[in-house]
Amino acid sequence: MLARTFLKIFIFVLVVVGIYAYVGQLVPQFEEHPPKTRTITAETDRDELSDIGQELLRGKGGCLICHKDSETGNTRGPDLRQSAATAASRKPGLDAEAYLLESLREPGAFLVPGYPNMMPSALKPPANLTPAEIKAVVAYLQVLGGAESTAVVTVEDVEQSKRVAKGDHRGRTLMDQHGCTACHKVEDEGGEIAPDLTGAGARFEPDAILRKLNDPAAWTTPNFEEGLMPSFAEAPPGDLHEIVAYLSGLAGKSYNPTGAASPWSHEGVRLGLVIFIANGLMLVALAWARRRERREAAQ
Amino acid sequence: MSARWPERPATPTARALSQTYKGVLKVSLLLVATYVVAQALSGFLPAAGYRDLLGLSNRTAVWIVAELHLMFAAFVLGVPIFALITEVVGVATKDRRYDDLAREFTKLLAMAYTLTAVLGCTLLVLFVVLYPKFTAYMHGLFKPTWALYLTLIFAEVIFAYLYWYTWDHLQGARKRWHIALGVMVNLWGTALLFIADAWVTFMMSPAGIDEAGNLTSLWAAVANLTWMPINIHRLLANVAFGGAIAAAYAAFRFLAARDDAERARFDWMGYVGSFIAIGAFIPLPFAGYWLGREIYQFSEQMGVSMMGGGFSWLWILQAMLIGSLFFAANVYLWLGMGRIPGAERYTKFQVPMMLILTLGFLVWATPRSIIATGSEMVAMGGSHHPFLGLFGVMAAKNTAVNVMILTTFFSFMLYRRGNRVAVVPWAAAGKAVQALAIAAAAVVVVGYGVYSYYVPSIVRIGYSVYQVTAVLAAMVVFVAIDIPLLKGAREIGPIAWGRIPARAQYALVFLAVTFTWLMGLMGYIRSGIRQHWHVYGRVADESANAYTMTHGDATLIVSGIVVAFFLLVAAVFFMAMREERKA
Repeated sequence: MLARTFLKIFIFVLVVVGIYAYVGQLVPQFEEHPPKTRTITAETDRDELSDIGQELLRGKGGCLICHKDSETGNTRGPDLRQSAATAASRKPGLDAEAYLLESLREPGAFLVPGYPNMMPSALKPPANLTPAEIKAVVAYLQVLGGAESTAVVTVEDVEQSKRVAKGDHRGRTLMDQHGCTACHKVEDEGGEIAPDLTGAGARFEPDAILRKLNDPAAWTTPNFEEGLMPSFAEAPPGDLHEIVAYLSGLAGKSYNPTGAASPWSHEGVRLGLVIFIANGLMLVALAWARRRERREAAQ
Repeated sequence: MSARWPERPATPTARALSQTYKGVLKVSLLLVATYVVAQALSGFLPAAGYRDLLGLSNRTAVWIVAELHLMFAAFVLGVPIFALITEVVGVATKDRRYDDLAREFTKLLAMAYTLTAVLGCTLLVLFVVLYPKFTAYMHGLFKPTWALYLTLIFAEVIFAYLYWYTWDHLQGARKRWHIALGVMVNLWGTALLFIADAWVTFMMSPAGIDEAGNLTSLWAAVANLTWMPINIHRLLANVAFGGAIAAAYAAFRFLAARDDAERARFDWMGYVGSFIAIGAFIPLPFAGYWLGREIYQFSEQMGVSMMGGGFSWLWILQAMLIGSLFFAANVYLWLGMGRIPGAERYTKFQVPMMLILTLGFLVWATPRSIIATGSEMVAMGGSHHPFLGLFGVMAAKNTAVNVMILTTFFSFMLYRRGNRVAVVPWAAAGKAVQALAIAAAAVVVVGYGVYSYYVPSIVRIGYSVYQVTAVLAAMVVFVAIDIPLLKGAREIGPIAWGRIPARAQYALVFLAVTFTWLMGLMGYIRSGIRQHWHVYGRVADESANAYTMTHGDATLIVSGIVVAFFLLVAAVFFMAMREERKA
């Protein structure tokens, strides 16, 4: 009876699931692939730049989620086929290229009448376009509108794009904030009064760098003046860990800024301790219960 | 590890503690084994950012195990919530049946806990082996939460085992201690859920990291924009899901019952399970709106891609599933009215309610754009149908689902008063106010639905909150009047438990299957809208499987997971029945 009931219910489950799976095959089927990465240099010619811009607009930029660049498409944002033609007259003082650049970098700076302020900057996630990629999109928009592309990628755009793509480590930013780079050079930027820290991560272990930050008198690199460096013992510990993580990272070492210096931070040790405490507590409770049990039996 | 415990302890406390210790030991061994295997494989395998599992894609392998783990986790977190509620109801009403029912629910947990733990440990190994680079990144960010998570696992196991093994001992004057244990089980369980949600939601709406992905604030990373909406959404969904699975268990036992007494017992259990499932399901879309709103707040692009982009077709499937849930829930109630003397008075409402549900279902399942040929598009005047296209947007769908919720609530209320006749002098006035509350909510819902067409999407999504508030307010007013209205009501006759057609039990199984499939689908959408990102906009998925697959392939995987889940659940049911026979 039990097996028969189970079989009947299981067949019923299969039928219901089968219907749902079948309906899943009836809706439109398509795959969405991640955008391809294309390299833009200062030598990239205008036609290629415009082609790359089209790919970016349709892929990485995600522009077609709201706009359209052909007869069919979305209408949440303005029709991109018209954008180049109207760009020059949108804002006084901005020519077409400057306006299109601004509309991608700061979309809220000017809103096309009838459309809400809903577009994120193309420089920010999820589009995360680099300055060079934004120029490529502008080139495509100009060509799309029937105009000649005027956007030109400069060496500076390319360098800036590399920095954007890489992202500044928070430890690097904190070194500026705490004044480290006023005296030290790191990655070719900063002062020369104190040693270049680019290779510090390779020469010292993370805990040694942390010690130096807290107690600068611990040691001084030969040929540099003693007593110049202030102590950072009062700085937020999280900031110091980030700086150590950054310098160690330059040497390819991994350092967890949440406190890898402590042996407790090792996951195996943590797991062992938690298991030990839980089992210990249970054994103590069990011993107590058995003792009480024996006492009750004796009475 | 080498502790001895008495085989047959004389006192219930020692017995409960020794059984609990067995559970702790089991989890300890499982975690140690997981750690050793993960470490050994990490050391043995050559360094890589991504790996495949013996030819199976890393994404599919992780997807299947993660979803199965999530389903069992939902079950073991949901069941203690309503077991505790049922137990408290039993104490409050002094009705022993509720206590037995809560015990019956809890019995299903022991085996389910083991399966959840095994699946969770397998998932952890898969993460470490198949996504080593990304797992290391997440582990680095959330390191302090891992230790807390481990601690909570032990706390949950200890209290859950104690809750089960002290059931018979902590009765009578000691009952409050048992309830306290139940509260602790739920507290730890909820805390576990919230921590796991922090990891998942960080991947959707990252916060607390800088441009380079370094941690700037752990709390900001945890309390990201979608964290609390997902917490609430999953809490409610767990209760609904747990209730649906428990009701399916009752349906199975009803169909396999040998006598009328057993049939009556499991008919009642099925009713309570479905009541809990549908009760928790009704506010679920509201939590969903909140989540949707937060997604839009985080990234309008992500929101648009979810609701209007490639994933929009999956919402049509969701509409079909939720529509089916509403139908099944109402059909079960209407069939159940057959065993309630006096409920025939309300049969006249069934056809109009069915019509409203059907219309709502049709609106909800209408797609915005249709794949059409060139000539069809010319005939329609575009990619959207000039008339039907109006029903494809969220304005219409929100309205439809709110009206369906209101109808199902009304159905429930009619069921509730099936064999009762109000005798209070203000009965007529009370019923009139109740009808007015329902009508007012319907007007607000439809009114805002129509007005939504004239405002942008970011404003429109805010209107869903007003619609939801109107429906909730109507429910509160209705119930607030209903309780005193039916106090001391005249009973036409007792409910004949067990006298319900077998097809009503299949409606319960249908509810459970549909809930499970829906959960699988929504899990895919939630995860899929990150597209080719591990952490949206910050950490890209650079593996070969970073693409979004076709909906057909995705639904086939979801279906496979659901079938696997029900086979595992069947094993849990059989184990529970075997324990019952042993006892």
